[in-house]
Amino acid sequence: MSEQEAYEPRIIAFLCKWCSSAGSDLAGVSRIQYPANATPITVMCTGAISPMYILSAFNKGADGVLVSGCHLGDCHYMEGNYLARRKIHLVKELLEFIGVEPNRFRMSWVSAAEGAKYAQVIKDFVADLKPLGPQEKLSRTKPEAEHL
Amino acid sequence: MINLQDLRDTARDLLAKGEARAVIGFRRGSRGMAAEPAFITRPEEADELVWDPTCVHNLALYLVEDRKFLAHNRAAPGLPIAIVAKGCDARAIVVLMQEHYFKREDVYIIGVSCEGTGVVDERKLAVHLNGAVASNAVFDGDDYVFTTVQGEKRLAARDVMADRCLECREPFPREHNAVLGENKTGRELAAPFTALARFETLSATERWTYWERQFDRCIRCFACRSVCPMCFCDECVVDSITFPVTAQTTAEEKANRIRWIERSATRSENITYHMTRAMHLAGRCVDCGECERVCPVNIPLRLLNNKMEREARERFGYEPGASIGGASLVGSFRDEDPGSFIR
Amino acid sequence: MEKILDKKRIDDWINALTGWEILTPALEDGVWAYRPVSGAIRLDHTNTAQPPKGLAFPQREVFFSFEQIKGEAPRLTQILPDAKQRAVFGVRPCDGRGTVRMDKVFSDHAADIYYQSRRKNIVYVGLACNQPPGANCFCLSVGGSPISSDGLDVLLTDLEDRYFVTAVTEAGKALIAAAGGLLAEPAANDRAQVEKVHAQAVAHPQRAIDKPNETPAKLKASFKSPLWEELARACIGCGICTFLCPTCHCFDINDEVTGSAPMRGSRVRTWDNCQFPDFTMHSSGHNPRENSGARLRQRVCHKFQYFFENFGMHQCTGCGRCITGCPVGIDIVSVVNKVVEHAG
Repeated sequence: MSEQEAYEPRIIAFLCKWCSSAGSDLAGVSRIQYPANATPITVMCTGAISPMYILSAFNKGADGVLVSGCHLGDCHYMEGNYLARRKIHLVKELLEFIGVEPNRFRMSWVSAAEGAKYAQVIKDFVADLKPLGPQEKLSRTKPEAEHL
Repeated sequence: MINLQDLRDTARDLLAKGEARAVIGFRRGSRGMAAEPAFITRPEEADELVWDPTCVHNLALYLVEDRKFLAHNRAAPGLPIAIVAKGCDARAIVVLMQEHYFKREDVYIIGVSCEGTGVVDERKLAVHLNGAVASNAVFDGDDYVFTTVQGEKRLAARDVMADRCLECREPFPREHNAVLGENKTGRELAAPFTALARFETLSATERWTYWERQFDRCIRCFACRSVCPMCFCDECVVDSITFPVTAQTTAEEKANRIRWIERSATRSENITYHMTRAMHLAGRCVDCGECERVCPVNIPLRLLNNKMEREARERFGYEPGASIGGASLVGSFRDEDPGSFIR
Repeated sequence: MEKILDKKRIDDWINALTGWEILTPALEDGVWAYRPVSGAIRLDHTNTAQPPKGLAFPQREVFFSFEQIKGEAPRLTQILPDAKQRAVFGVRPCDGRGTVRMDKVFSDHAADIYYQSRRKNIVYVGLACNQPPGANCFCLSVGGSPISSDGLDVLLTDLEDRYFVTAVTEAGKALIAAAGGLLAEPAANDRAQVEKVHAQAVAHPQRAIDKPNETPAKLKASFKSPLWEELARACIGCGICTFLCPTCHCFDINDEVTGSAPMRGSRVRTWDNCQFPDFTMHSSGHNPRENSGARLRQRVCHKFQYFFENFGMHQCTGCGRCITGCPVGIDIVSVVNKVVEHAG
């Protein structure tokens, strides 16, 4: 087995409670098979996700970060996902600006009824992350070179 | 051209007539040509005020300091505080007012227009002066004139002004109570975001290599944060040392305080710090350039903030420091905000 | 021991120093810093942005790692620095004297094993200042000089096409011995020239602390002076002065926890800064140095009074970095002179 095949990317998935988290539950009870690489973190709304969470996830060694919430117009808090759309866009642009591979961070709209979609999102994410290898750029787990 | 006497008279009158409790401005410093912040409270001190190419500081920072001082002492502002503000500084004040940090009537803005001539970048100047030290600097039309031991040295302002001045869209302080100098807008000597555009020609790998080198130099002195008027949080989220404690704070709370990043100035922590700061300034940074000027190890911080500013302008139609009543960038949205990146 | 080195042969000397990691000044993105030598050595620097204190006292030092499995006692593993032999070229006399002061704190006064394991493997090859490298130098008025060899192992003096090489310590002699035939004996005109260059260097006008000998007592008498707050009025608490200072050495210690089951992490020392508003924040929420005046007083008195009282020398070496680096023009020479004058 090559080193690449043995590597399993670690994904942190911020899922809004009302839609995407429920969607991931639906994937589970429907017995849809999908890779087990994502650690879900339920948040009340994607609009409540501070960019700090995303940066911190990378800082602690996440190989990929997903933010998933309700479709526009369906937000339990009316506007939260609109605000998230803006904030996440900024985070994404900043990460790419630094030189982090664009495929490491993504956002999706997954409703409570879209169990299959959730599974597909994770499947695609894992497939896109594997060739990139472990995330080392922001990760504090990488050993440090000494500098003055 | 600004008549210095007009500036001094404006300040003197405000204090003499009891219309302001203090005037924050610039005065000659003790080392060479550089101006330094001045805090005058008596009319006769107004003669100390200066206005020249070394007036680089964003004095809005001291409005924040004043507000914190008042809050700490549970004192009401009383009379307004007056401040000498360049175009960039005035935009910073607008952002602070937009965020209700203080009320409009609490600040008397004495706007000064640099009239597109900007302020000097000492690093660029050092190259032109070739080791000589200037003891004085004045504006003269499109030039700066420096006094050195070898005599006077005249330099075109565009050759030694700060990059953020070269790219400035609006040298004139739009928001003001009184204003000196002409409204010479549209006088960009370089297109806005020139430095940013140049950087973005690099590939992702080249960008990373570049930032790696920059952030490896960072010693986490926090000068960038200290000098920014918009970094006014008493508890900085990326500095666990600023955890506020009172006599009632329990040991558990102290021990378990959230540490988003460590104090170590390692590459990962430095990058996370700077990216967090850039995110926190999205839509709020007015590109006064102070963060980049003060950095002791020359990290090109403006690039990060300019990136956020350009996204704000081009994707969201948002201009920082434009109007006091406006919503914040991340607290508002439009139906047409880009969303094609969302799966 | 004194020698002459042809400037064209300095790279040969560096190459002969196998077994040492060589650090020399390098200009990177407009900033002078000590970097592992790469290509021809440059000694045309003014001074490095940061002093060499970071070599023996790095921004981050890991003391030990710990691991605790639930129910058991924690296991600690000391981590001593892997301190290789290093030779640093181009160190200015003010920074050499800075090293002496750092040694006083971390070696003489209390033995810090982390500092010492790095320090004992560092050799400093200094470069005399034929003219002041900066506009804010004031080494002469704090007991130093542009030709001082305090804290250095070798001192080089630039004589245009050659260096006059003076050994200061046994370690310096070893470095010179490694050069073998690259170094020649000085001739009479070499000695004459170096004396002339040194005399000119010392005669060069500098800024000055007006009354360095009276300063400790006058500062002591000025503890309650209202001048401190006035002089610190513009201070933004950025910390640049302290971090760039060759002798400032305050630090913080934190546990960086990296795992929770089992609990594991490292105990880490990082630089801290008395100019940060929260530096003296007590657990109760009380802060005895609540305003920038108190913090400025602390730094100035530490440099010019407390250290003098404890060790008989000013802690400040006159390098001028704090003056050049301060974003708002707070100038330690001006501050000290004003306070001393005011004390009467």
